[in-house]
Amino acid sequence: MSPVAADPFTMRKGGRMSPVAADPFTMWHPVASVHDVPYRHVYHGQLLGRELAVWRADDDFVNVWENRCLHRGVRLSIGSNDGTELRCQYHGWRYANRSAGCTYIPAHPADAPARTICNRTFPTVERYGLVWSGEEPVGDPPMIDVLEAGTPFGLRNLPVNASAELAVLHLRDHRFLPSDRLGAGSAEPSVEMSVDSADEYSVTLTATDGAGRSSSGSGSSSGSGSSSSTPGSSSTAVFFVQPVDSGRCVIRGVLAETPAASEQTAVLRHHAVELNRLVGAIEAEAALLPAPEPMVPVLQQVPLNLAEVPEAPSGRQAALRVQVRRKWETAAGVAAFELVPITGVLPTFQPGAHIDVHLPNGLVRQYSITNGPGETSYYRLGVKLEPDSTGGSVCLHETVREGDVLAISEPRNNFPLRRDSMRTILLAGGIGITPLLAMAQALDRMSLPFELHCFTQSAGHTAFTDVLDGLGDSVVRHLGLPPDETVAEIRRLVATPDEFTHLYVCGPGPMLEAARREAAAAGWPDDHVHFEYFKNTTEIDDSSTFEVALARSALTVTVPSGSTILEVLREHGVPLPSSCEQGACGTCVATVLEGEPDHQDVYLNDSDHQAGDRIMTCVSRSLSDRLVLDL
Amino acid sequence: MRICEAGRLAMIKLYDYVLSVNCYKQRLMMSILDVTYETVPVDFFPGWEHKGEEFREINPLGHIPVIDDDGYILWDAHAILVYLAAKYDPSGLWYPTGDPGLLGETASWMLFAEGTTNTASAARLCVNLGYDFDLEACQAGAHRLFRVLDEHLWFRERSGGEWVCSGPHPTIADIALFPDVVLSEEGGISRLDYPALRRWTDRVKRIPGFEVMPGIFPASPGR
Repeated sequence: MSPVAADPFTMRKGGRMSPVAADPFTMWHPVASVHDVPYRHVYHGQLLGRELAVWRADDDFVNVWENRCLHRGVRLSIGSNDGTELRCQYHGWRYANRSAGCTYIPAHPADAPARTICNRTFPTVERYGLVWSGEEPVGDPPMIDVLEAGTPFGLRNLPVNASAELAVLHLRDHRFLPSDRLGAGSAEPSVEMSVDSADEYSVTLTATDGAGRSSSGSGSSSGSGSSSSTPGSSSTAVFFVQPVDSGRCVIRGVLAETPAASEQTAVLRHHAVELNRLVGAIEAEAALLPAPEPMVPVLQQVPLNLAEVPEAPSGRQAALRVQVRRKWETAAGVAAFELVPITGVLPTFQPGAHIDVHLPNGLVRQYSITNGPGETSYYRLGVKLEPDSTGGSVCLHETVREGDVLAISEPRNNFPLRRDSMRTILLAGGIGITPLLAMAQALDRMSLPFELHCFTQSAGHTAFTDVLDGLGDSVVRHLGLPPDETVAEIRRLVATPDEFTHLYVCGPGPMLEAARREAAAAGWPDDHVHFEYFKNTTEIDDSSTFEVALARSALTVTVPSGSTILEVLREHGVPLPSSCEQGACGTCVATVLEGEPDHQDVYLNDSDHQAGDRIMTCVSRSLSDRLVLDL
Repeated sequence: MRICEAGRLAMIKLYDYVLSVNCYKQRLMMSILDVTYETVPVDFFPGWEHKGEEFREINPLGHIPVIDDDGYILWDAHAILVYLAAKYDPSGLWYPTGDPGLLGETASWMLFAEGTTNTASAARLCVNLGYDFDLEACQAGAHRLFRVLDEHLWFRERSGGEWVCSGPHPTIADIALFPDVVLSEEGGISRLDYPALRRWTDRVKRIPGFEVMPGIFPASPGR
């Protein structure tokens, strides 16, 4: 380091800092300090004219987002951080930790926001007690040698009504005392300041006590070391200047060494006083300059895939690659899996959603995501071993191991949860707990009343008990009930329907049939009873032959016996998504414009079947000679 | 709550206007102290009822809030807070008369709150209700005070303190300051530069018994 007096500044105030200015839009800048982002708070920040909402989730991930709700542009910084999601204060849209995907739109009765609705996020790194981000930063945030080698200690940040450039100029003249010279003696220490380094957005200064400097001086004294045995004290501080806007900045100071605990308050006070003085001088000078035009950030355009009808995916898409991070037995015969992304962030899911898992043996199976809100860094599945099944669960139980890579589809939600009902009853039979577990956690987080009834053979057969325990009294366990008592219990639970209560059922076929029957007998309207089958056990009759006309595609095809609508349409190049391909999951639905469907699925309820305006193209057929679909 | 001779509940009457920060301070304090009260709506805007002859019989200064506690009439928002806390807070923590140092701090920050009311909340009256104040002067004055308060609260946090005064419990000074601060954006005063002030508003919102008014939103539950 060089003393100020020798070669203080190569530039004059008002001059440019460097002949080639770096592009601030590709640099990392501090946008908050760690004190600014406690749990359950949303920090209101700004960088280069763009407002930011910065918030720490309970898993310690710090989110730096555009400070606008995608709905009406309301500032998210007035929203609430519930530890897993950020909720916009105006209309209650919710956005997930990490992905910023929208998880909930209150006005959407079926709670089905497009997965593609995603707030704009900016990269985040925590370093030196500061949260770093940037518009399109290249590489990593700067490594500062004195801070890497030291024990960084954050000073109070000071907002300044002046440009970053002017603040940096003044900072080079900034003065402070070494930390251990504060309040030590009455004599004013003689302090030398030096500028160790400076660039457009930071200045590193060292304050050295005069006595120390002379003791470590250039050998003018030939005396023994005894007279200089007291080492001169010095403190180094790095002042980062965050360009908030063209005429505003924040000075974020970090001392290289953390003072002793007993001295910290005095050190912080000293720097606050000195920096306040500095800010006064900077702002006095800025007030004489013409006010610069505020920067105008480019707001994110509505993504094209929201503005246009997206191209329909065809078939079973295995768009994602995930790794099995953890596999464990969560209950007798039930394996749990935690799947983490190999790169990037997993797509946002809503409670009730499932994914297709493409298994090493070539089979494709659907499993519900059991995660609660905010658990966005992995998908957790529960898989029951069904030895007499066609090999999906056996493969997952016996072949797939921790570390394996699996191909999965993006989450799809055909079992959406309404979050506008006053009360929700969830009935889970055995492994049917999986989608309902995600729902229960979402309702719990939003403080919406619910009951989760788990029917299992025994406590040892109850999966995810750790999660259930966290849901407290809302969970009721029904252990080891024989079928007739299970039906009696369900009858009791659904005895009093009302228009404010919704019922969700997932479990084995007989239990599900019983629940639907009991609910209907008790007078529940069909649209208040929601269910998801594991599989379709209906015997499919594919003997009919009929004609399918596609209204939009201007195409008419014949579906012969032995083929499905889905297969024939694909042969003709009409893309349709599908998942379970047995009439249970609801993915391949098409709208019926004319004709009488021959329903063979278990996804639609009785009212839907009677209405006849939707059809599951993987199993259902036509009773009329001709069916017109809205495709 | 006291029972009068007729068996009727004796209840504090608050002459109230729902959008007034100074009336909200009383509602907030009584909600936190779990004091039952009834409101007497005053048509502050656009009726100017508080300036009318009838209301001046209650408060000759012609302003609200005013309370009538079983015949005891008191006006001036910050004075009413003193009275409510002194009378209805059995813990003695909201208005700490037992601790001279803390009491002095409380009085000092109550006077500071007169400043925030006359700047930040005055700016809000200009913007929302068309009052003829010098808006720019109000805004600049509020920024000067907010800078001081933000630094104060930042240092309070560093020593483990959550509230404006140095005790471990909030005081009426927090109640007096909170509405002026939290509604400042309605007066065009951004709190972007005052992160410690913003964190403090979250803490006030988590005081048991907290209630909102239009423009103020509840905080998420603490961790």
